[in-house]
Amino acid sequence: MSDLTPPPTAAESPTVTRAQRAALNEDWLATAVGLLLVALVLTGVIPTGLVP
Amino acid sequence: MVATEEDLAPATAERPVRTWPWLVLGVFIVLVLGSVARFLEDTIPAAAEGTSLEKFAAAVEYPIYAIALGLIGNVIVYYAGLRERIADAVRTEFFIKTGLVLLGASINLSLIVKAAGPAILQAVLLISSVFLITWYLGGLLGLDEKLRALLSAAVSICGVSAAIAAAGAVRAKREQLAYAASLVIIFALPSIFLLPWLADVLGLSPAVAGAWIGGNIDTTAAVTAAGAIAGEQTLQIATIVKATQNALIGIVAVALTAYFAFKVEKDADAQRPGLRQLWDRFPKFVLGFIAASAIGTWYAGTVSAAEAKAHIGVINDLRTWFLILAFVSIGLQLRVSALREAGWRPVAVFGGATLANLAIGLGLASILFAGFTA
Repeated sequence: MSDLTPPPTAAESPTVTRAQRAALNEDWLATAVGLLLVALVLTGVIPTGLVP
Repeated sequence: MVATEEDLAPATAERPVRTWPWLVLGVFIVLVLGSVARFLEDTIPAAAEGTSLEKFAAAVEYPIYAIALGLIGNVIVYYAGLRERIADAVRTEFFIKTGLVLLGASINLSLIVKAAGPAILQAVLLISSVFLITWYLGGLLGLDEKLRALLSAAVSICGVSAAIAAAGAVRAKREQLAYAASLVIIFALPSIFLLPWLADVLGLSPAVAGAWIGGNIDTTAAVTAAGAIAGEQTLQIATIVKATQNALIGIVAVALTAYFAFKVEKDADAQRPGLRQLWDRFPKFVLGFIAASAIGTWYAGTVSAAEAKAHIGVINDLRTWFLILAFVSIGLQLRVSALREAGWRPVAVFGGATLANLAIGLGLASILFAGFTA
C-alpha cells in the first residue's frame, strides 16, 4: 500500500513548514534587533568608536 | 534570499544531531570568517598602495572577501564533517534582514517616498513579465507544473523566500523547493560581480544601476552585495527596489494558491485565500527598514549635522558587520549537489528566464529611473 502513498507535499512537509515558520520568525527578529541597535546607538549606549 | 540548510535539507534519518556546542562553534566560525573579511578590507588596499595591484586592491570590496572566505570555509567544514552540525549558526536570512533594517537608518525617508512610485511600477511590470516568461519556458521544456511555479516565483520576485512562499501555495514537493533554492544561489553568485561590472561598462547612473541590480538579482543578500560593490547610492536604490519586490510576495502567493486550487487541482472545497494570508506572507523586515529610515530622518533633523553623521556612521559600521556575516553565510551554504540530481531542463529554464529578466529589467530601469536623483 505504501507504493500508492503520494509523495509529501510542501504544504504537508514538516521541512517546508519549518522553512516558512523560520522565515517569518527571522523577519520579526531581524526587525527587533535592527531597531534596537539603532536605538542604542542614537541614545549613546553604543558610543562612537566602539564598533570596529 | 537564502534559506538555511536545515530548512531545505531532506529529512533523513542520518541528519547529524545539532546541539548547543555545535551552535556555538558555528557562530564562532561565522564570526572569525567575518572578522578576517573586515580585516582584509581594511588592510589590503593600504598594503597594496604603490604596487601594481593598487587599483585592483582598492576595487575589491568587503562582499568579495566575505563570500570568498565563506566558500573556503564551506570546503573546510564539509571535509571536517561539520557542515550539517553548524548549520543552525549560518543564518543568512537573519543577518541580511538585520543589516537592511540598519541600512534604513541611513536612508532619508524622502528618498524611499520618491523612489516608491517607479519602484512599485518596475516591480509590477518586471514580476508579471518575468513570471510569465519563466512559466512559458517551463511549459516548453515540459517541467512539472509545481516546479514551474517555484522557479517562476524565484526568478521574478526574490529567490528563496519567494520559492518558499510559492511552495506552500502550490503544495510543491520538498525536493522541488530544495532544488529551486540551490538554483537561486548558484545563479546569484556570479551576478554579484557581473552586474556592477556591466553597469559600469554600460555607463548607467547610480539610480538606474541600483534599480537594475535590485530588480534582477534574485536573492536580497546578493542584491545587497552587488549594490555595495557598485557604491552607496546604487546600494540604497537597489535595496528600495528589492524591498518593494519582497513586499509583493504575498500577492503572488495568494494568486498561486487560488490558481492551483481552482484551475490545476480543481478542488471545489478549497477556501478562497484572504487578507490574512497576504499579511502572513508579507516580509515584516520591510516595516523595520521603513521605521529605521523614519527614525534616522527624524534624528538627523533634531541634532547637529556632526552628531548625526557620527551616530549614523556607527549604525553603518554595524550594518557592514551584519552584511559581512550574511555574505560569509552565503559562501558557507552553497551546495551544488542538488543541481546534478535534477538534470539540465530546470537549469535551462532558470538561465533563459534570468537572461529575459536582465534585458527587461535594464529597459524598465532605464526608463523609470532616468534622471532620478536622491
